Amino acid sequence: MQTEKEIVEELCSKFGFLKDKIYVKRQKRIFTEFLAKEEFEQVLHYAHDKLGFYRASHVVGTDEGNDLGFIYLLSNGDGIILALKEKAPKSDPVINSMTDVYPSLEQHERELVDLFGAVVEGLPEGPSYPLPDGWPKGSYPMRKDWNPNYFDRNTMTYNPPTGDEKKEGGSN
Amino acid sequence: MSKKNKNNRIVLPIGPQHPSLKEPASFKITLEGEKVVNAVIGVGYNHRGLEKACESRNYIQDLYLIERVCGICSHTHSTAYCQGIEELAGLTVPRRAAYIRVIVAELERLHSHLLWLGVAAHEIGFDTLFMYTWRDREKVLDILAEVCGNRVNYGINTIGGVRRDIDEMMLQDISKMADALEDQIKYYLDLALTETTLSVRLAGVGKLSREDALRFGVVGPVARSAGIADDVRVTEPYAAYGEVSVKPVTDTRADVLGRTVVRIKEMLESLNIIRFCIKNLPDGDIAVKAPLRIPAGEVISRTEAPRGENIHFIRSNGTDRPERVRVRAPSEANWRGVKHMLEGGYLADVPITIAAIDPCYSCTDRAIVIDSGSRTEVMDWQSLRQYSIDWYKKQGIDVSSVKLPTREYY
Repeated sequence: MQTEKEIVEELCSKFGFLKDKIYVKRQKRIFTEFLAKEEFEQVLHYAHDKLGFYRASHVVGTDEGNDLGFIYLLSNGDGIILALKEKAPKSDPVINSMTDVYPSLEQHERELVDLFGAVVEGLPEGPSYPLPDGWPKGSYPMRKDWNPNYFDRNTMTYNPPTGDEKKEGGSN
Repeated sequence: MSKKNKNNRIVLPIGPQHPSLKEPASFKITLEGEKVVNAVIGVGYNHRGLEKACESRNYIQDLYLIERVCGICSHTHSTAYCQGIEELAGLTVPRRAAYIRVIVAELERLHSHLLWLGVAAHEIGFDTLFMYTWRDREKVLDILAEVCGNRVNYGINTIGGVRRDIDEMMLQDISKMADALEDQIKYYLDLALTETTLSVRLAGVGKLSREDALRFGVVGPVARSAGIADDVRVTEPYAAYGEVSVKPVTDTRADVLGRTVVRIKEMLESLNIIRFCIKNLPDGDIAVKAPLRIPAGEVISRTEAPRGENIHFIRSNGTDRPERVRVRAPSEANWRGVKHMLEGGYLADVPITIAAIDPCYSCTDRAIVIDSGSRTEVMDWQSLRQYSIDWYKKQGIDVSSVKLPTREYY
């Protein structure tokens, strides 16, 4: 069994860019800072192929202001979770699907598309998840600037105030 | 309802109101004769936006939202959530509270597995077993109501501990229930292994090999039935599990029969854990005071739900509201495996194969606090029953002649 510290040391020795960007948060938890797309993918493949992180439990989408954050939670047989982070600008929110390595991520990555407006290249074809048919295009409910008070469920339209118009209860 | 394509295959849409459970999901099944060659699963019909709602409410309000992620395994969600907040706030839960969390968690596992066994029996037309298991489940629900005040959505957890203590009378009732239930569970285990209605019907159905289970990242009894000894209670003991001996139950059949056997044996294990906790329940406080504002940070908290690993990701920002809450319920991890289980199997096995991952669905919730204006009244179980009887009487339905179980019932 590799300890959390040994895993961090191996990753740092393999990937110089991880220095000061990866740390043991506590027992069974390793976190990284947000990495560039290419760096993130190299580390993810290595963790899967060489370090026994066989399971991808989850992807957490986050709104990081001008960027979208994607936190991939990988775990190994000893129950250690590696929280591997990448981000992409909202102006060009393109990431690559990791479903070729972890098929279990399919539904989680679809969620990033629907709820955060990410563009996940290489995602297998299939039904969208979880928003219903007819959901307004360009409306991403888990972004911080999306306010449920402006969504009309009868017409399925999102109507934020324009200009100086203020709507009662508009703060989120 | 179905259409033939040029390869002489039939595409059969099943759902969203589907034959397994009372929760919407759609399955587009492509058939060659009776064989399933492709399955496309569509979920999300009941997405309630809980995570978005959490961002605009404070941590205590969110606790009650989170508890309603699932009506069956609500305690595992509130435990994962509370543990996460407690870690961010640097709180240590009193040992007595940790033990109570474990007792309720194992009671929850018992009623969830009994419910599943009944559903599985129903899917294969074995309704006698369905009646038996749901009768026994009532015994567990009665105990949960006595201990927590509710049959489901127990409301026992709070940030920093638990909201209710367990008294000596309750402990005795739990012990009696455990003794009565043990014989029944052993009978079900014998039934699963020897009664051909189960052992032959379920064998070889919904196969998911160990390799595929690892590849698709399935969790809980689905993974353990493929020989993967993965159980959060062991790999990362939380609450009082570090003081309890938990043996992960595994099987090598890797099919629906294996999942059945694992769940039944897990119930026996749950009884052992409950008995240990009752015997060793420490004295002391049941909660510590938690701050309203939680220091900024990120946490990944997890528990072993009846259906498997349950993960909560929480990001705090120093205010009284979380920045981000993300819940990964175990069923979410198992859907990808279902697709693989269905493909290559037979149409007639589709309902039981879907049911065999025990996908989550909601139950009726009940309340114990009546708040009318300035009056707030906490009701005990008997008065809650009486309230229910009176309420129905006003609707013109008299259920007062129905005989209710008493303590001697066990």
